[in-house]
Amino acid sequence: MSGKGKNKVRIPKKKQSLGVILRNNWQLYVLVLPAILYFIFFHYLPLYGIQIAFKDYKAVLGIQGSEWVGLKHFKAFFNAYYFRRLLTNTFLLNVYYLLWSFPVPLILAILLNQIRGERKKRFIQTSIYVPYFISTVVLAGMLYIFLSPTSGILNFARAALGLKAIDFMSNAGAFRSIYIISGIWQSAGYGTILYIATLAGIDLSLYEAAEIDGASIWQKIRYIDLPSLVPTAMMVFILDCGKMLSSDTNKALVMQTPGNIPTSDIIGVYVYNVGLGSGQFSYTAAIGLFVNIINFILIITVNKLSQKTTDVGLF
Amino acid sequence: MGKISKKQMSLSNRIFYIFNTVFWILVMLIILYPLYLVCIASVSDPDAIVRGEVIWHPVDFSLIGYKAVFKYKELWSSYVNSIFYTFTGVVISIVVTLAGAYSLSRPKFFGKAVINMFFVFTMFFGGGLIPTFLVMRDLHLYNTRWVVILMGCVSVWNLMVARTYIQNSIPDDLYEAAMLDGASHFQYFGKVVVPLSKTIIAVLAVYYGVAKWNDYFTGLVYLRDRKLYPLQTILREILATLQVDKTGDFMMSMAENSASMQEAIRIANVSKYCIIVVATGPVVLLYAFMQKYFEKGVMIGSLKG
Repeated sequence: MSGKGKNKVRIPKKKQSLGVILRNNWQLYVLVLPAILYFIFFHYLPLYGIQIAFKDYKAVLGIQGSEWVGLKHFKAFFNAYYFRRLLTNTFLLNVYYLLWSFPVPLILAILLNQIRGERKKRFIQTSIYVPYFISTVVLAGMLYIFLSPTSGILNFARAALGLKAIDFMSNAGAFRSIYIISGIWQSAGYGTILYIATLAGIDLSLYEAAEIDGASIWQKIRYIDLPSLVPTAMMVFILDCGKMLSSDTNKALVMQTPGNIPTSDIIGVYVYNVGLGSGQFSYTAAIGLFVNIINFILIITVNKLSQKTTDVGLF
Repeated sequence: MGKISKKQMSLSNRIFYIFNTVFWILVMLIILYPLYLVCIASVSDPDAIVRGEVIWHPVDFSLIGYKAVFKYKELWSSYVNSIFYTFTGVVISIVVTLAGAYSLSRPKFFGKAVINMFFVFTMFFGGGLIPTFLVMRDLHLYNTRWVVILMGCVSVWNLMVARTYIQNSIPDDLYEAAMLDGASHFQYFGKVVVPLSKTIIAVLAVYYGVAKWNDYFTGLVYLRDRKLYPLQTILREILATLQVDKTGDFMMSMAENSASMQEAIRIANVSKYCIIVVATGPVVLLYAFMQKYFEKGVMIGSLKG
């Protein structure tokens, strides 16, 4: 009823304000202009600069003036002896991280939901978000300190059990585990926010009905909580899959030591070390472009998949 | 819902609650213990730390680490830099993001779809590190304060979150009333949208602020002059290395204030903990006040705009 009334008023209003809207519209462009300029300078110009992947970049000649060399850098990368190692390292680090880190926030959210007492719940929630605010450098610093072979707490614990000290940060076999565990420690709490919100939206009468039927808590979790979380979890999982080759370069870079290079050498770290360290700009730009293309294909594929299975799409 | 007494509770539920309590005590320990350990070690004697005695409480209470850190000039100049970068960066980010979000939230805005695509595309395809580096050099932004402030100035995700917020929580009637009164978009944005967007401004401040404060990579890649380094870039040299004696300037500063190299290494061991406290403390404190907005950011983001 009220909707109908509103419509009646709106029709003449629209006509009146149309002139005002047109006259004022330039202001909307002005308001969005700073954001557009930012993306032009910080994203689209670099995108234009990607042409150096097909050139031999010389600083004196600049991005545009350097000589075209076609696919030379790509061929060199695909034929390099470390190509397979870099790709394997990057891929495995991401797959393992995704598989291990994905279920944790889900479990935490379900069990947090069963905590009785608002204050206890609030305290736990406040605490589990804290690691998210710790910087990559400080996190890595804590790892170096706690895992130190001479003064780290973990090796003191090993010594107490009669085990030999291990220099974890120089250990290629330990790198992925350390990366994954510290990653979960840092971001699992953040990951629960969405699931907790979903659980809070479940109709309470469902639980009451289940209780009357004599359902245990385990059964309520199994038959009410889990099914309600599936759509959200699916969306999160699919989105994560789209980031397969873009692991946290920043973190791997600060965790890299001479000892763990066999596993910590991932594409992003290699691009930083060789590109900026030894100035092989064109070669590493080509590697970067290769990663971008694979990621782009992954995102498109995953998005298609997502639209088919859950009706959730990015674009 | 009344409280269920223990007698009424079935055995399986009782087992569940015992399990759940134990589980959460463990999780709390795993999450909080490393942070607690850093705090107690920062006020302990370095020898006690190296002997592995600092486990549950400070041992041989001492502020020697904090004293050394306090005298470490480069740390404090980078600290001031970081405060400046974060403050300036967050203000610029919020203004640019909110203004852009307002434009995109208007239903009748010719070219909206194209501009939207222009933004969203950057989430999926970028130039990458090396081309960005070369462009920054060509734009003469390399080794300037501006590159640190502006890098990551607008995040598409935050832009979309702000747009969703403006669309959903500012009633359209306000817009129509303002337009009838002959207000321009500038006036409406400044006098109606901004005052009603306090929540989203706080959300943006939390996310932009934490990202800026915690970023070491921009400083590492785009700055040559150490005087311009933000805190995290300096911290990388001190914290993220295997051997204490390879941390250059940090050790130099420690050595200046101690009798011998051995003493310097001794103090450096405890100083690392103090530095973590000093660098992370403000962020965690700020979080304590802004927690509500931190959660809200995720929730608004999950709404479809």
